[in-house]
Amino acid sequence: MSRIRRARTERLSRRTLLLAAALLPIGAAHAGAATDARTPAAFIQRVGDQTVAILKRPGVPKPERLEALVDVLDDATDLALVGRLVLGPYWRQASAEQRTDYLQLFRELVVSTMAERLDGYGGETFDIVGERAVDERDTLVATRINRPNAGSGPVAVDWRVRRTDDRFAIIDIIAEGVSMVVTQRSEVGSVVGQKGIDGLIADMRERLHGQS
Amino acid sequence: MIWRERAGRGPAPRGPARAAATALAIALAASGCASSPQSDVYDPWEPFNRTVFGLNELADLMVIEPASIVYGHLPRPIRTGVRNVLNNLREPVTVMNAGLQGKGETAGTALGRFMINTLVGVGGLFDLATEFGYERRVEDFGQTLGHWGVAPGPFLMLPLLGPSTVRDTAGMGVDFLATQPLPPNLGTEGTIAVRAVDGVDMRERLTPLINDVRANSLDRYATFRSAYLQRRAAEIRDGQVTGDDAAYEEIFNEPDPASED
Repeated sequence: MSRIRRARTERLSRRTLLLAAALLPIGAAHAGAATDARTPAAFIQRVGDQTVAILKRPGVPKPERLEALVDVLDDATDLALVGRLVLGPYWRQASAEQRTDYLQLFRELVVSTMAERLDGYGGETFDIVGERAVDERDTLVATRINRPNAGSGPVAVDWRVRRTDDRFAIIDIIAEGVSMVVTQRSEVGSVVGQKGIDGLIADMRERLHGQS
Repeated sequence: MIWRERAGRGPAPRGPARAAATALAIALAASGCASSPQSDVYDPWEPFNRTVFGLNELADLMVIEPASIVYGHLPRPIRTGVRNVLNNLREPVTVMNAGLQGKGETAGTALGRFMINTLVGVGGLFDLATEFGYERRVEDFGQTLGHWGVAPGPFLMLPLLGPSTVRDTAGMGVDFLATQPLPPNLGTEGTIAVRAVDGVDMRERLTPLINDVRANSLDRYATFRSAYLQRRAAEIRDGQVTGDDAAYEEIFNEPDPASED
């Protein structure tokens, strides 16, 4: 399904609160698992459970765990849509080639960030605390992420879930009021404003290759 | 750099500067508009702010981060005690500002917390109030101004103190001046000392987040700026994590990209 393939691009797991990020991509997905959830809250519950399950397996080699996480990511998010929202008004100005390059780099950066996070699991658990429909398409699922080893209280994280014809997809994560899409949009907009879209793509490429 | 989680402490001007701060607050109030969409960024002084940000990063690399690493090696109970004392020192500010916002219950809880933790919790070393079920909340004058409808104004990167806005900086000054006569009366030097410890403690706790931004952000300044503005908007909304924000919603209201691919 092209939509699922397109889902492979976003950097959902970067910044804001680590945990939010650490939890999202997780989940041991068997493809399609996320699609049979009936409500957005049930969907988030499943994705979260899958993620925690993968993170909790320290014995499993890292590449295997990363692969499992990438499956969950592809299954549970729409990275192409998120990438496009992050580029915002500049999406329209981008050429077909720039769009393709950008979305591919966007996805690669998400995956590389996820790889960094693999070892950062500190026993976090999560509870669903509520669900609120925003409009016909989107629902916010409120969760509380408990951090038993962090020495501080739980973190409030909202997940924006979009319903499409055949599936749910996470399209934003809001940790303690800080939206990942808004933050990245601001960051990407600032880079494009200074260097143009090609400059952004060059920076993303450099970040990716300077990171290994 | 020091990521300032809450406005409210820090040195502030006296005398004529005090009058200026008051005038500023009034001017802000007069020009304030009703809402402050979290996705908007108003940063007319960006070149200046970026310069300060660069200096802050330098100070962080040379002094603040090393200090936070040393601090991080102290046993957890000691760090928790320090954090508790710092939190306790902030309670009077919360009492005042919760009162100004008409939040009687929050003000009462903060006052109770301050009494319990100061008297029973050995000068704030132990947060017994939380054990007793009195949940900690933080209010400062920047939030109070926001509650009254004052817009954040231009974004401002403060030396050492980190991201702020004109409104929040004015709020910080008001909180400092207003609480000078109250216990615990720390004076200017005491406030600076507390501020420094607070900064190191906060830097230590935010290390994972800061490392993450350093590793992944394409424009760290823009990332911190956006996150700060969103966080403050959320604090003013009082823990209601997502407000009904037209500018935020608009981001998601674009046509389905499938039609454009």
